Amino acid sequence: MNREISRALLALMCVLTFSIAASAQVGSYAITNAKIVTVSGSVIEKGTVVIRNGLIESVGSSVRVPADAKVLDGEGMTVYPGLIDANSSLGIPPTPPRQQGGASSQNNDDASLSKYPEGLRPEEMVASKLKAGEAQFSNQRNAGFTTVLTIEDNGIFNGQSAVINLAGDSAASMILRSPWAQHVSFRTLRGGEFPTSLMGTFAALRQMFLDAKRHEKILRMYEEDPRGMKRPDENVSLEALIPIINGEQAIVFNVNSEREIVRALDLAKEFGLKAYISGGQEAWKVAGRLKDQDVPVLLSLDFPKRTLTEHKEAEPEPLDTLRLRANVPKNPSKLKAAGVKFAFHTGELKNMKEYFANARQAVENGLSESDAIRAMTLSAAEIFGVEKQTGSVEEGKIANLVVVKGDLLDEKSTVSHVFVDGKEFEMPKKPERPASGPGGAAAIGTPANVAGTWNLTIEPPGQTIGATLVLTQQGGIIEGTLSSDVFPSTPIRDGKATPQGFTFLVTVSAGGTELDVSFDGRVTGNQVEGTVDTPQGPAVFSGTRTP
Amino acid sequence: MRKEITRRLRFASVGLALAALLVTGVFAQNGTDVLIKNATVLTAAKGKLENTDILIKDGKISKIGKNIRAADAKVFDATGKFVSPGIIDCHSHAMLDAINEFSYAVTSMARIRDVLDTTDVTIYRALAGGVTSANLLHGSANPIGGQNTVVKFKYGRPMEEFLFPGALPGIKFALGENVKRANSNVQPGQSRRYPATRMGTMEVIRDAFIRAKDYKQKWEDFRAGKTKIEPRRDLELEPLVEVLEGKRLVHAHGYRSDEHLNLMLIADEFGFKVATLQHGLEAYKIAPEIAQRGTGVSIFVDYWGYKLEAYDTIPYNAYILWKNGVVVSLNSDSGERIRRLNLDAAKTMKYGGVPEEEALKMITLNPAKQLGIDKRTGSIEVGKDADVVIWSGHPFSPYSHVETTMVDGEVFFDRKQDIAKRSELKAERESLEKLDANLPPSKRGKKDAAKKEDEDEEKTPDADPDPTEGGNR
Repeated sequence: MNREISRALLALMCVLTFSIAASAQVGSYAITNAKIVTVSGSVIEKGTVVIRNGLIESVGSSVRVPADAKVLDGEGMTVYPGLIDANSSLGIPPTPPRQQGGASSQNNDDASLSKYPEGLRPEEMVASKLKAGEAQFSNQRNAGFTTVLTIEDNGIFNGQSAVINLAGDSAASMILRSPWAQHVSFRTLRGGEFPTSLMGTFAALRQMFLDAKRHEKILRMYEEDPRGMKRPDENVSLEALIPIINGEQAIVFNVNSEREIVRALDLAKEFGLKAYISGGQEAWKVAGRLKDQDVPVLLSLDFPKRTLTEHKEAEPEPLDTLRLRANVPKNPSKLKAAGVKFAFHTGELKNMKEYFANARQAVENGLSESDAIRAMTLSAAEIFGVEKQTGSVEEGKIANLVVVKGDLLDEKSTVSHVFVDGKEFEMPKKPERPASGPGGAAAIGTPANVAGTWNLTIEPPGQTIGATLVLTQQGGIIEGTLSSDVFPSTPIRDGKATPQGFTFLVTVSAGGTELDVSFDGRVTGNQVEGTVDTPQGPAVFSGTRTP
Repeated sequence: MRKEITRRLRFASVGLALAALLVTGVFAQNGTDVLIKNATVLTAAKGKLENTDILIKDGKISKIGKNIRAADAKVFDATGKFVSPGIIDCHSHAMLDAINEFSYAVTSMARIRDVLDTTDVTIYRALAGGVTSANLLHGSANPIGGQNTVVKFKYGRPMEEFLFPGALPGIKFALGENVKRANSNVQPGQSRRYPATRMGTMEVIRDAFIRAKDYKQKWEDFRAGKTKIEPRRDLELEPLVEVLEGKRLVHAHGYRSDEHLNLMLIADEFGFKVATLQHGLEAYKIAPEIAQRGTGVSIFVDYWGYKLEAYDTIPYNAYILWKNGVVVSLNSDSGERIRRLNLDAAKTMKYGGVPEEEALKMITLNPAKQLGIDKRTGSIEVGKDADVVIWSGHPFSPYSHVETTMVDGEVFFDRKQDIAKRSELKAERESLEKLDANLPPSKRGKKDAAKKEDEDEEKTPDADPDPTEGGNR
């Protein structure tokens, strides 16, 4: 639920913040004089990549630059394969909230052919839900991602995922592979409907797998000779499970703790499933079994961190929790050492800087940089079976590339260009350095004047909070404090003035916890309106500036 | 002062919990022989043996006698100490991530095995109370609930090592208040779950067994070639067929004797035996009927009055049942009570005068019999699994405590080691708390700043480590 809301908000933010940020073009390009990290082969210290018709035409140290190619001087730049987020929910519009209570299967407006309730419908395809439009991907794409695995984390059977490129005129043109896998979460159904417990969840899965096996058998009998046999009912849900129980289609379990992973592995063993793990915080503890059962891990780089504020009277945090947070960054190197295949994904991270910061932590904890890069690119492509199309800088592959000033894992590096299917996305210019020329400047615009004291009204559901925001501004950078009756004056972070208004982060203390809250406001004269994103869900705010 | 003592006690128990995390595994001595020297051995089978040695080889009790010599064995000097079999709790919900599947009246498809949490600290606390095995049961929300699992408390080991080898599978039944009031919190758009009465509960059970018989017949017809299409495997009915075939034990939660008797009559009707009546607060009223069927009873020794159907019992319940030849066990049904089942057994000597060894059996050999694991555990006899407990004194004394608990000859709790580990845990916690990810959000991400604040903190009296906090911090 939260995830749906946050996705809606994310989409909204993308539209508001980035819609004009990236300008895209397709054509032929030559990136010259650049360091090229091919991932599949050795690093080319100084070389050229030629892109044509959406593909990599040639790559090497002595490649001739075609006359018609737009040349990008790659001096000081490094070219990487486009990054692959190995588990996301990008491109899926939020589903409207469900009516409370009652089996959805009994709803009249339920168009599904399935006899199973919502949440136990493996036939659902993410590809049929994808929304067209490139702007929704800017946050990830601007960070260097060109490709993602996408699936919603809803219900027990999440449905079948798709691998998509983060560009394309239509949803269909984004798809690299669909369906890839069935995704499963060990959760219960809502509204008192079976299963209401984790035990029931396993019973439901087990029964459906068994029913699917029998259904296949009966279908086959009927196909061979229908005479004298009652026609088997159409059963879309069980039919969707047939490739799963036959080990032909991948099944991904969203699990993090050791025991959850063990449960997934046990279930996979029981039914001979082609299993994958997503999340995998404690995968290192069962690395031996993962290796033995040949189960790759889609490893979240959303590392757990303490969210509780400090309080003298609070019980100390459990040692297990402290240990978990210490061990998670060591997980990738341990999996590597144990020979378990893995690829990285962003988890619930919204700020892509944290993705790279956590990748660096994995490297500090023993993973080689090249393995880290591989887990962001080719390893994911291999897991998804698209390694012949993407995941490395090789002739003939899709021109999914990211051009970075510096090294990708260097904190100071910046992404300068991203190519998705050969389509060039130039990165938005930093607002604090407005271009002086007539070119990109018009598109970017100058930051609005947002300095001053703002009286805000923040409206989480069923609540109204008054707050005072004091901002000082220097070009695109804003600083200041936010205060209110319910939390003390707190300095803002990452404050930016945009052409439309401002964005900033603030950590407020409320009810014993500290919440990271992000503000995104549009300013018109002395009026502001916008959205607040909190861990509890989104809210809106509005306000006026005291002249 | 009083307050400080309470505090000390509280933190000591948390400390124990945390020490658990480090202690396990350290002691694993697979393959090493163990020799317990000069103990008073309460065998729970062949009486009390003074100044006796026990030799453990490959996790089994290999010799019991005087002056046993074993060259390479790890020796535990138990002079002045007592040794008992490991305690077995016939009714526990420890180490479970889920207890009740409320949705249906019959949830026999639910399996406790699927939701084990081997990291639950209750396990370690139970070991510290001398418990080595437990019957992990589904809750009591359904006339026919989920399938139980019998485990050995091998704390720190992979899940598979917990499963008691060869234990008969079982299933939870439940009667009375819990069943008829379960799911009374009706969601909009849903009807209340049937049954809502004790009558309905019996009907649901009878109906389920009629369906199970039909199901069994369907498969027999198919196997005999009478039908062409393979019947659907039904995970709800399969365990009930096993009950009918005597391959699965029924553990039936209930309080009132009329209901327990009614269930046994249904069992008679369908030709199976109820393995245990759980709780059975009024079982003393139907002791001969229970004994006649060979059904066991697993009770609280002296706990009642917490709901209307739980009033009409007496502390002589265990005695009367025993006197009538019923196999009686005392259970905890609680993560707290599980730590002192030894004292519950002692109470049966006070109320009615159950003989000492019979009292001890009620927490060792009798639950083993009820769970069908008495060939392997429950008493100290040659050839049995070395699930043994060394006590500082007689286990029925409130002044005694557990010194060492072994499962299959391996130490999973040792009081001295536990205490010794606490400073290590404290140091570990202190170093972990300094990690960026473990800092409160306001201090995170500013490496130098965080360091500086830590230094500042050490100077303020509030941040001084509390010396009463033991291994906790």
